[in-house]
Amino acid sequence: MRKDNTFENIIIRLKQYWQKKGCLLFEPYNSEVGAGTFNPATFIRILDEKPWNVCYVEISKRPRDGRYAANPLRFQQFYQLQVIMKPSPSDIQRIYLESLAHLGIKFKEHEIKFVEGDWDAPTLGAWGLGWEVWLDGIEITQFTYFQQAGGIDLSVIPVEITYGLERIALVLQDVASVFDLKWNNDLTWGDVYRQNEIEFSKYNFERADPEFLISLFSKYEAEAKKVFNDGLVLPGYDYTIKCSHIFNLLEARGVISISERAKMIGRVRALANQAAELYLRKNSEKNEEESEEK
Amino acid sequence: MIDFLLEIGFEEFPPALLKRTAEDLSAKVEKLLIDERIFYRSIRVIYTSRRFGALVLGLTRKQKPQIIEIQGPPKKLAFDSEDKPTKMLQGFMKANNLKLSQIFTKKIKKGEYACGKKEIAGANTDDILGKEIPEIIRGLEFPKTMVWTKGGIRFPRPVRWIVALLDRRPLRFTFAGIKADRYSSPNQHFSFTPIRLEKPREYLILLRHGGVIADPNERRRIILKRIKQAAAKIGGKPLYTEEMIEEINCTIEYPEVVTGEFENQYLDLPEEVLMAVLKVQGDLIWVKGSNKFICIFNGKKKAVQNVRKGYTRGMAAKLYDAYFYYKNDLKQGLQNMLAQTKKMMWLEDLGSLYDKATRINRLVEMFKTVPELGIDALKRSAMLCKADLLSQMVREKDFTFLQGIMGGHYAEACGEDKQVAAAIKEHYLPKFVGDTMPKTKEGSVLSVVDKIDNVVGAFLSGNRPSGSYDPFGVRRNGYAVVSVIDACSMNISLFEIIDNLLKLYNKDFDKNIISEFFIERFTRYLQDKKFRYDEINAVLATWKGDVTDARIRCEALKKLRGKPDFTKLVIGQKRVRNILKDIKKIGVVNGELLKEDAEKKLYKKGLETKSKIKELFQRRDYFKILNLLLAMRVDIDKFFDDVMVMCDDKILRNNRLALVHYINSLFSQYADLSQIVIEGENQQE
Repeated sequence: MRKDNTFENIIIRLKQYWQKKGCLLFEPYNSEVGAGTFNPATFIRILDEKPWNVCYVEISKRPRDGRYAANPLRFQQFYQLQVIMKPSPSDIQRIYLESLAHLGIKFKEHEIKFVEGDWDAPTLGAWGLGWEVWLDGIEITQFTYFQQAGGIDLSVIPVEITYGLERIALVLQDVASVFDLKWNNDLTWGDVYRQNEIEFSKYNFERADPEFLISLFSKYEAEAKKVFNDGLVLPGYDYTIKCSHIFNLLEARGVISISERAKMIGRVRALANQAAELYLRKNSEKNEEESEEK
Repeated sequence: MIDFLLEIGFEEFPPALLKRTAEDLSAKVEKLLIDERIFYRSIRVIYTSRRFGALVLGLTRKQKPQIIEIQGPPKKLAFDSEDKPTKMLQGFMKANNLKLSQIFTKKIKKGEYACGKKEIAGANTDDILGKEIPEIIRGLEFPKTMVWTKGGIRFPRPVRWIVALLDRRPLRFTFAGIKADRYSSPNQHFSFTPIRLEKPREYLILLRHGGVIADPNERRRIILKRIKQAAAKIGGKPLYTEEMIEEINCTIEYPEVVTGEFENQYLDLPEEVLMAVLKVQGDLIWVKGSNKFICIFNGKKKAVQNVRKGYTRGMAAKLYDAYFYYKNDLKQGLQNMLAQTKKMMWLEDLGSLYDKATRINRLVEMFKTVPELGIDALKRSAMLCKADLLSQMVREKDFTFLQGIMGGHYAEACGEDKQVAAAIKEHYLPKFVGDTMPKTKEGSVLSVVDKIDNVVGAFLSGNRPSGSYDPFGVRRNGYAVVSVIDACSMNISLFEIIDNLLKLYNKDFDKNIISEFFIERFTRYLQDKKFRYDEINAVLATWKGDVTDARIRCEALKKLRGKPDFTKLVIGQKRVRNILKDIKKIGVVNGELLKEDAEKKLYKKGLETKSKIKELFQRRDYFKILNLLLAMRVDIDKFFDDVMVMCDDKILRNNRLALVHYINSLFSQYADLSQIVIEGENQQE
């Protein structure tokens, strides 16, 4: 195993690897998301039939998973490395496995298991079939062939590969707790994020004001609808993402009942579906104009 | 003799589908060979997580030739007086390309005919397989499929290679855009270099070199051996089921073994929780009573150290969470969780989970007269049974399936009665058809009323099932209700429970809609018990809601049908039904007005039978009852033969109709026998 597998080096190596495989190197989105899938570089770009290969780190916020920095493997914010390849190459599984080898993982010395895991994101009206990839029994990646997004059946199938960077680093550095991960040679993950974990756990579980959040949710939702009506996809989708995060906060706070939960998911999904339809409609109009010009 | 290898390779297949798909494929190949008259010596099913197929040894190169007979002209017209072929026969021979030596005569029904016999040479196995194998693959069926290329074929996971080798040559076909060839894929932990196969017989050995045990039975034997050895080393008993082993078998290609352990404090967790963690962490096998587990993994022996470390860490993190939830839940206690259910909405407009618990707590009062039932324990368990939905453990998705079970544990820990804990624990059973039933009486009743409440609640909130729409699993609930009632032979009326429940809801709803739903579910249940639809219809036509009772009636009916007397009886019942069909007003029989011998006798017999069966009904001796009813048959027939029911005298007529009705009522106490379909009779549906 490579000695210089610091957290930041793992990120750099994976980005370089996917750059060589033809991916555009992108950056995280600029508001809170639960997963890299929410980034328009995934959700919006996978909708049409045009080729799209991209790789970026996404900072994923999962308020419910906070443990006040007390659990070595659970935290409310972590890094994903997101790869989208559309269309999915026929040897994509091998390309992925070789990315692990590129990090210094020797297949003869580990077990890499593709464990059936059908993926769905109900707030995005998206689902796909694929696997959790386990390295020695620890989930390090989600590997998904998207089938639907924004309620739309995709015709050109993208593959989404989402690495859990902390999890991989734990194995590569052979440490048991995320807080002991070497970020670089001087600082640990704990040095960087311990206070963040403690404070956000406290905020998410105890201090977030439900009424404030519920009113934000409704306002963001109204704004999204208004903006969609003006024919603006991306600003409307931006508010959709915000709604999704507010929903996650409310859920962590434990103030929504089962049926209320289903309803709110439905409301976010309705926005995501609208964004998807609007994007495709605008795109097909654009294509028609372009072909007329020719 | 040649061999044939078919291997379809893909990215890791859903384990639950793998075995049956592989077996289905191989059965279809076998059927093809038999249907096409291709001899083979043996066929073997192949599957691992990344491939399935079949290895067929000792095939013939060609189909077996077929000898066919063609019927020609009648013998008289085929040969002339000198036994020479006539023009007509010559024409027949020419048309069918037959020589005179192939002509013979044969006696059939219509007389003696000239026939031709000829052999049709078999086609090449090669051609037949090349044509039919892709059809077989295309014909495989799956519950859930995906696409991975635009406009491409649907399959559970992307197909990546196909080997179809007949003798030394690949068959020529393409499936899912992939050309059948001779290159297989090794275990990816061993190598990425494709394995080139010269002939099918090399397959198993070359794949083994590549880290693949392709024969599932061999792999299963190795898995079991490894588990046994590991357990012996630890000195304990490994806890596993057939299904667990098969699940493991379907997720690997080469079984290696490693053992690991966890902290002793986690043995305080309920066994179900520990087992759930072991399962989620990758089908690990617990060595009972110890803090050790056995892990079958896919890969090389060299990986043992890393694999042990990884799975041990994974277990530690998951057990940490489970223990954390468990301790918090115990600290909180079931009573506090119950209080929280007030805030948890159950179904829209139908109140909270607390309201549901209160409702079934009141509903179960109707069971207080049931013998050997602890009514107090039942009422308490009804109140508490949904509280664990608010526990941290059950709210975590990996452990949600422990609902009820956790409630039982928490109830016991909180000092509740053992009966209460048991009922809570069991009340979700059965979760599917064929699942275990609740064992205690209290658990059975709680299971029934909770599920009836689920059904009624769904109907009231506008979520009744239709077509494939059944978001609340109402059909499954309905089926479970009748199967639990039947399994514990409870003497209660389903309709009465529904009536009482609707009163508690205090909502305006047509209860017949719900009754009809349950009749449909019960019909399905009885069909699954192998009763015929007309037996079921006959019994349910007069059904008052007692499930067990109806099932016993069906059994008696089934036992007696087929007796000649029974058939005549049913015919008689159909006559009665027709006679009574249009009569609106029917009075009571007046014994004085009976004139003919036959009607007097029938009336007497009816009165006798009635008094005899009354007591039998209480004992539910339906077989005897049916026999007694059957014994009236002679008198009934005699009555219809000798007595004119629809006579001119109005008074006589009405009295006779009353008699017919009286006799009929004896039968309909049991069932509407006129619904039974007699063989040869047109089915009226």
